[in-house]
Amino acid sequence: MRLTAVEKVLAAKCGKSAVRPGEVVYPDPDFIMIHDGVVMGAKRELDALGINRLAAPDKVMMVTDHDVIYGSARAAERGAFNREAARAWGVKNFYDVGRGGHGHIFPMETGMLLPGMFYFDNDRHATNAGAIGAFGFRMGTEISRVLATGTNWVMVPRSVRLNINGRLKPGVHARDVGFHIATLIKQGVLPFDLDYRVLEYTGELDQFDLAARTALCSSPTEMRAYGVFLPPSEAILEHAQSKATRPFTPVYADADAQYDAQAEIDVAALEPQIALPGGVEHAVDISEIAGEPISHAFIGSCGSSMYQDMVEAARYLEGRRLAPNVRLFIAPGSEASTQRMAREGILATFLEAGAVILPAGCGPCNDAVVGPVHSGEASISTAANNNFGRFGPKDAKLYLGSPATVAASAVAGQITDPRTMVNA
Amino acid sequence: MTTEFPWRLKGRCYKLGHDVPHPGGVVPARIITGRYFDAKDITPHLFEETDPGFHERSRPGDIIVTGRNFGMGPKMNGYIAMQALGLGLVCESMPFLAYRAAIGCGLRVMTDCVAATEMCDTGDELEVDFRNGLFVNHTRSIRREYPPIPDGLLEIVELGGNAGWLKQWWAQRGAAAPR
Repeated sequence: MRLTAVEKVLAAKCGKSAVRPGEVVYPDPDFIMIHDGVVMGAKRELDALGINRLAAPDKVMMVTDHDVIYGSARAAERGAFNREAARAWGVKNFYDVGRGGHGHIFPMETGMLLPGMFYFDNDRHATNAGAIGAFGFRMGTEISRVLATGTNWVMVPRSVRLNINGRLKPGVHARDVGFHIATLIKQGVLPFDLDYRVLEYTGELDQFDLAARTALCSSPTEMRAYGVFLPPSEAILEHAQSKATRPFTPVYADADAQYDAQAEIDVAALEPQIALPGGVEHAVDISEIAGEPISHAFIGSCGSSMYQDMVEAARYLEGRRLAPNVRLFIAPGSEASTQRMAREGILATFLEAGAVILPAGCGPCNDAVVGPVHSGEASISTAANNNFGRFGPKDAKLYLGSPATVAASAVAGQITDPRTMVNA
Repeated sequence: MTTEFPWRLKGRCYKLGHDVPHPGGVVPARIITGRYFDAKDITPHLFEETDPGFHERSRPGDIIVTGRNFGMGPKMNGYIAMQALGLGLVCESMPFLAYRAAIGCGLRVMTDCVAATEMCDTGDELEVDFRNGLFVNHTRSIRREYPPIPDGLLEIVELGGNAGWLKQWWAQRGAAAPR
């Protein structure tokens, strides 16, 4: 049928044999996600129209990840509003404070989001679904129509394909690959315009576990991709099968699918990358910026908060202390990960190093509601992006790196290549 | 759907170049960060930073023609104003989510209109049918056919955008639907 992955999934959810880019369709989603920051807007919009019930409350998943511990009285009011909204709408899949965690992380861990699925989300980081071989489409404020009617219009996006050759060297992480890809796009080396495109990865993908695949979804999203997709490996399918809460059918692109553009990169020689302040697409080899002092650090976000990311970071903190002037915030992606880290002593490693553990969720990456920087400060983190002002003041210098790089840098007090740390 | 909706606009061309951002280029950034979504609050500020008083000179039916990549950045407010003023928008290209926002505001908009800015100048008499893609410049006797608004989106525009669509949906189907 010559269909890309997104075309296949959308066709299946529309009851059609095929869909083509540019076609306007109304897919029937497997579920609908809305996060704590936007429930109030959607509820008030629907209330104003007199719409007092949802098309499919059983499909709706409300998550609390953007302002988990209420950094303000206003946030506490919003939390109360959200609780009442869940009750009024009859939403049972309501993950309140301290339940679930990051909406773009825990559903993949728990088997709610499975290969071949499609869902609507208010948030653009729904692209993470590609890590497990599924699609989540951002609706923004139009999530209200999805809540009311069960669907919304989708223009079938075009797809581009990127073949990954080579295997990463030790100490180099999937986030580094993402920064590198974004930079190659910015430089015009990769002939991709990702605006409203789906980026399909192919090639040597077996080296990437679910956490690494999630990391690979992150930077293309910042380059305006509407979807990212990795064909699920045997390991991913085994994970999904072991956790699945319902049957699922993995989807793969046809061998002769039509792509807008195709390219390949070799990652075998890639060095750890640092995205310089201003965007994920400003990446350089770490050797070019190593030694830059930092005093704020954060490990977490939709790009880097799975259990494996935390284990990787902890390797560099084991038996060490943060540099005296550094504060490091850790936000695991799920409550389950936090609990597992507690059982396995990883939380102790972070705490003994001097790090602060935040509740599962977005951490400072959402509008700096917790752990902001101050004016002029330098920070290194695994945030989704480092656009000016992401952590508060616009004149702060926000660098991005992999979990390993951020952990090593927090110990050293300066941007540090994790491979230079002995015993790691 | 009624047939009287004015899909065909006839009016003056207002031409803009490439890469006009939504904040600053279309409406001042403070209108966006201030979360103004009411047309009466936004229209006085449409193109304010590049062309003060635009809203007083524009007339319903006038058509904004832009180059590539129109409307980058946080979106929506400017399209609310264009819709309220009865304007149409023809772009060589725009980020998809800007297009989606424009449709959601009920704006008559066409994108992927190749070389549209070469077909007209500010002040030319244009006639554009957003339902079939016909673009006519009467001043320069040019006719082009551009990609129209897809059939599946006509109803949203006709009903004035997402809110109008939802209101009608609820009145006609939602409220009556069995639980």
